[in-house]
Amino acid sequence: MYEKTILIKDTDTKREDLTRQAYTQILDFLRHNDQHSRIQVVRVADIGLYDKGLVIKILPEQITYANVKEDDLKRIADAISFNKGRVEDLVYKPKSKQERLVLKNCGRIDPESIDDYIACGGYLGLKQAIELKEDKVIEEIKTSGIRGRGGAGYPTWMKWNFAREVASDQKFVICNADEGDPGAYMDRSILEGDPHAVLEGLIIAAFAVGASKGYFYVRAEYPLAVERINKAIKQAYDCGLLGQNILGSSFGLDLEIRLGAGAFVCGEETALISSIEGKRGTPHPRPPYPSVKGLWGKPTVINNVETLANIPQILLKGGAWFAKIGTATSKGTKVFAVTGKVKNSGLVEIAMGATLREIVMDICGGTLTGKPIKAVQTGGPSGGVIPEHLLDTPVDYENLQKLGSIMGSGGMIVMDDDDCMVDIPKFYLGFCVEESCGKCSPCRIGGFQMLGYLKKITEGAGNINDIAQLKRISYAMQKASLCGLGQTASNPVLSTLKYFEKEYIEHIENKHCPAGKCSHLVTYSVIEEKCKRCGLCFTNCPVSAITGDKEKGYSVIQEKCIKCGKCFEVCKFRAINKK
Amino acid sequence: MVRLTPESLDKISKEPCDKPANWIKVGMSSCGIAAGADEVFNFLSEEVKKRNLNVEVKKCGCQGNCYAEPLVEVSIEGLPSVTYGRVNRDIANKIIEKHVIGKMLVNDCIYNTVD
Ligand SMILES: Cc1cc2nc3c(=O)[nH]c(=O)nc-3n(C[C@H](O)[C@H](O)[C@H](O)COP(=O)(O)O)c2cc1C
Repeated sequence: MYEKTILIKDTDTKREDLTRQAYTQILDFLRHNDQHSRIQVVRVADIGLYDKGLVIKILPEQITYANVKEDDLKRIADAISFNKGRVEDLVYKPKSKQERLVLKNCGRIDPESIDDYIACGGYLGLKQAIELKEDKVIEEIKTSGIRGRGGAGYPTWMKWNFAREVASDQKFVICNADEGDPGAYMDRSILEGDPHAVLEGLIIAAFAVGASKGYFYVRAEYPLAVERINKAIKQAYDCGLLGQNILGSSFGLDLEIRLGAGAFVCGEETALISSIEGKRGTPHPRPPYPSVKGLWGKPTVINNVETLANIPQILLKGGAWFAKIGTATSKGTKVFAVTGKVKNSGLVEIAMGATLREIVMDICGGTLTGKPIKAVQTGGPSGGVIPEHLLDTPVDYENLQKLGSIMGSGGMIVMDDDDCMVDIPKFYLGFCVEESCGKCSPCRIGGFQMLGYLKKITEGAGNINDIAQLKRISYAMQKASLCGLGQTASNPVLSTLKYFEKEYIEHIENKHCPAGKCSHLVTYSVIEEKCKRCGLCFTNCPVSAITGDKEKGYSVIQEKCIKCGKCFEVCKFRAINKK
Repeated sequence: MVRLTPESLDKISKEPCDKPANWIKVGMSSCGIAAGADEVFNFLSEEVKKRNLNVEVKKCGCQGNCYAEPLVEVSIEGLPSVTYGRVNRDIANKIIEKHVIGKMLVNDCIYNTVD
């Protein structure tokens, strides 16, 4: 049996991989000193650090060495072999670490087993809540400073308090699991990985406000999440955590699942409520807010999945504990779904106040291609792009808003040079136009008009006045739309105009797309010096727009070219020029 | 199932969580399943049964490292707990033969250690 383990990985991607070499060197040292039956050396595929040269990790001590040079290997191997402690000058202290509150059970427990959840402290938060009584529960939530994770960042305790204070014979709680932002899947992972935590949060919310009936509103596109919530609800009924006399108290709650029918706007709280009522899922003016007059006109607390998943721990460990994490105005952690041109896409949970750069570079390893980052998009179709030079901004609700984006639900899309800053907002606006319910005209007509201008610009038919027009419609939509969808739909356009207006102008004046993304504005041609006359482009062109033969070489007939980019893709010699 | 009371909840929570035991956990959320976790889970379960190993094969949710799915966390007494990534049948077989039976970590497949 090994006493110690040495993990090893070369994280420098710009030169030849030295992992094997270093591995052999350490192994030789251990063999030579007769330590190899006591210490094992293992090459790993990913050591959690990126661009830090040769990285070595020692277990069980959890010492990490980074930027290790060949000469250092011996010192490290010597120190571990003869228990000389750590090699101080090489120790690496990570500055950005994930902090797992919401995801603490995800990947650890069996999500389909209530026993697993309870064994890890599950439902103790609920027990605590029932002991504290309603007012104290809301007091703890207030102390914690937690704000909604569903987008708007509204203080959770205030919602609960409004609903609690209204006298009513019936109150409701709803978990909003309609997660519809393109690129966001935090809520799905939480529901699939730890459904009981969300359930417990919802039961606590119901207890605090005095609700006796609740709903899980889950989008139908999440069948596995639905299955696991269903199981969790059933198990909770069986254990007396739902139904009458929960945990022996006089408090009772019934829960049901409602499936979302695939409309983004149904994630908006008033539309969601209509949808549960069996009506068409369209929003309503607020006030009255759902906390006062919600489902069937009764006080209703509606919270996001991640918000609710935080609640049990706040009760268990206290609001003051939670308030220590994060920044002055944004407490706790946030889960982000990092996707796009990033090396390690996935979920990242980090204390509020971490910078975007820490998330994207240190934790997710930068871009997949090694190209520089151009911008990071946060907040999905309601958010905006944040350019590279602002990536050191600490992430919290206010900061992101100041930059013209929003925290949103936590989608984060990394973009590099190949992403066009006119095409990106066109995509998001297209999404909003598609998903607009059509009830109010600013959103229905404004979005459509804006999309028209963006299309025009990306097709090379833009006019310089279009920019002013885009801004004008944006402001009108922000001010006059009925719900959040229309009010925020222009954010992607406004933020790209704010940071990348030059790119718009380049499209309009020079009919040129710097990223080479807008197909109408690129031309493909064969670079003669590089062409090996293999004929791959010729055989792959779907419209026979390439002429020539293996003797004479090839060229593109511009009039026939449909700019599909197939030739560019298939050429192994980079002999196709895309401009 | 018995109805829980505040007392019984307290009692369960005092028992140690994550007892040191031999187990293998396969990430079985949408991202894992999409990457082929089902096959890996079935393979590992069958092998453990076939070879009569004292290891529990369990399902769990997504740890967050979606890029490296399917993820398989392995805890065997005497070895550090590690997570293997991009696991296929071949790697799963190595996990059984080298890690579980041979009691040594498998080279080139570990994605992050659990700390
Ligand atoms: C168009 C639109 C879509 C929304 N989609 C969601 C969603 O999918 N999930 C969610 O939790 N909140 C969504 N919201 C926000 C909800 O209206 C509401 O603010 C939220 O559920 C409140 O929960 P919280 O206070 O816990 O954040 C959406 C809002 C708008 C305007």
